[in-house]
Amino acid sequence: MNELILDDVSVSRGSGPVVSGVSLVVKPGSLLTLVGPNGAGKTSLLESISGIVSTSKGDMSLDGVPLGKLSRIKRSRLGLVHVEQGRTVFPSLTVQENLELTAKSPAGVDEALELFPELHKRRGSASGLLSGGEQQMVVLARAFAARPKYLLIDEMSLGLAPVVFLRLLPIIRHIADSGVGILMVEQFAQLALKIADEAIVVTGGRLTYGGPAEPLMADPALLHRAYLGIAEV
Amino acid sequence: MLQGALAGLAAGGLYAVIAVCLTLMARLVRVVNFSQVAIGMFAAYLAVIFAEQHLPQWAATAAGVCVGAVVSGLIGWIIAQWLPEAGIGARSAVSVASLLLLVSLSFILFGSKPKTFKSLLPGPAFSVGNVVVTQVTVVMVALALVVAVGCHVLLTKSKIGTKLRALSERPTTAELLGVPAKGLSIAVWVGTGLISAAAVSIVAPTQTNDPISLSFIIVPASAAALLGGFRRLDLAVVGGLALGMLQGALAQFEQMSVLRYWVPFLIIVVFLLWTQRKEVWDVAR
Repeated sequence: MNELILDDVSVSRGSGPVVSGVSLVVKPGSLLTLVGPNGAGKTSLLESISGIVSTSKGDMSLDGVPLGKLSRIKRSRLGLVHVEQGRTVFPSLTVQENLELTAKSPAGVDEALELFPELHKRRGSASGLLSGGEQQMVVLARAFAARPKYLLIDEMSLGLAPVVFLRLLPIIRHIADSGVGILMVEQFAQLALKIADEAIVVTGGRLTYGGPAEPLMADPALLHRAYLGIAEV
Repeated sequence: MLQGALAGLAAGGLYAVIAVCLTLMARLVRVVNFSQVAIGMFAAYLAVIFAEQHLPQWAATAAGVCVGAVVSGLIGWIIAQWLPEAGIGARSAVSVASLLLLVSLSFILFGSKPKTFKSLLPGPAFSVGNVVVTQVTVVMVALALVVAVGCHVLLTKSKIGTKLRALSERPTTAELLGVPAKGLSIAVWVGTGLISAAAVSIVAPTQTNDPISLSFIIVPASAAALLGGFRRLDLAVVGGLALGMLQGALAQFEQMSVLRYWVPFLIIVVFLLWTQRKEVWDVAR
C-alpha cells in the first residue's frame, strides 16, 4: 500500500513520554498539516519518523515497508526526506552544491531552481551568506531535488517574516500536487491549514483532532478546543 | 643557522603532514586525533618487524602503512558506531585512549629497546653551497604540499568532498539527506591513517626512535594545526614547516637548543590564551 502510516506511535525522551499513541496516514500527493501548542510533541513525532529518535511503542511503515529499526540512511533511500526546524543549509556550500548533494542529476538541480527563480542568480553564493528566506528556499529546493516520496517539514516559518512564509506556502502545495506526500508541522495554524488537505492537532503528545483541514479553518472555536484537548477526534 | 633550519625541514614536513591530517579530522569527523602519530609509529615499528622476516624494505614499509590505515579505520569505526552524536571532547578522549593503547601495545609487541629504522631515502638530494638538503627533506616538504593541495581539491571540487563538507557542518541533516555518515567518517580515518603512517615511516629513521618520543610528535603537529585554527590546511602546512625550521635553527645554538622542545608548548599556550581572551573578558565582566 502506497502510504506513510503511523499506528499507535509513542515516543519517550529523557523526561518521559512526549508522544502517546498517535496514528496517522499520509497519502501520496496529499498535504497533512500537524498543528498544536509548544511542547506538544510535534517535532518529536517527525523525528521518530525520520529515525532521529526511536519510538517506544507502535508501528510505522512507508509504502508497506516497516520503518522499525531502519537507519536514517535507509529511510531516506526509501524516499523519505525530513526538512528540520531552522534554516538547515550547509553554510559553506554554495546554493548549487546544496542542491547537488541530493539531486540525482543536473536536471534535478535545474528543476529545483525553477521553484525559486530568485535563487538562480545566487547559485554560486555560499548559502550561509543568504537571507533567512533565501536559506529556507534552498532547504526546500534541496528537499525537492531529492525527488522524495514523502516530505516531513518542521516549522518552516520559524524566524521568517510572514510575507516570506506566504511566498513558500504555494510552493509546498505545488510539491504535494506533484505527487509527494507531505506531513507539515506548523505553528501558524491558520496559514498552514489554507493549503492542507487534512489536519491533525496534537496536544500534550496526544491526538486531539484528525480530519479534513477545512472545518478547523472555518471554525476557529473548533481549533481552540482541539488545542485545549477538548475537541472530538 | 641555515643548515639547521633546512635540517629541521624534514621534521617540519612531518609536522605539516600530521597537522593537515589533524585539521581534516577536526573539520570532517569532529575529533582532535591525539593518536594520529602513534598510528604512524605503530606502522613504522611493524615495518621493522616485517623487514626482519626478509621482506624487502619497501614492501615491509608498505605493509606497515596498510596495517596503520586499518588500525586507524578501526578506531574510526568504534567512534562512528558508538559515539556518532557525541561531542568533540568525548570523541577526542577515545583518541587519547587509542594513543595510550598503541604505545602500550608497541612495548608488548616490539619490546622496550628502540628499533633501528632503515631509511627508505638515504643520502642527500642536493647541496646549496655548504648546505646539504636530504632526500627525506625534499620528499617530506613535497608530501606536505601534495597532501594539503590534494585534500583541498578533493574537498572543493569533488562530489565526495561536498558530502564530507556537508557532513562536517550538519551531520544529522546530511544523514537525513542520504549522506552515508558512518562510511565517510571511517574513510576519513583510513585516509588520514594511511597518510600519517606513510609520513612517519619516511621520517622515522631521522627522528628519535622510541615509541613514546615518536608518538609525542603529536605535540608540535598540534601546534602547527592550531596555527590554522584546525580549519585551514594552508596555515597548517606553513605552521608545520616554520616550526620545524625554527626548531632546527635553535638546535644550532648550544645554549638555546633545549628551547626547541618548548616552542610547540609555547605556541599552544599563546594561541589558546589569544583565542580565549574575549571569553575571559566576558566572564570577568
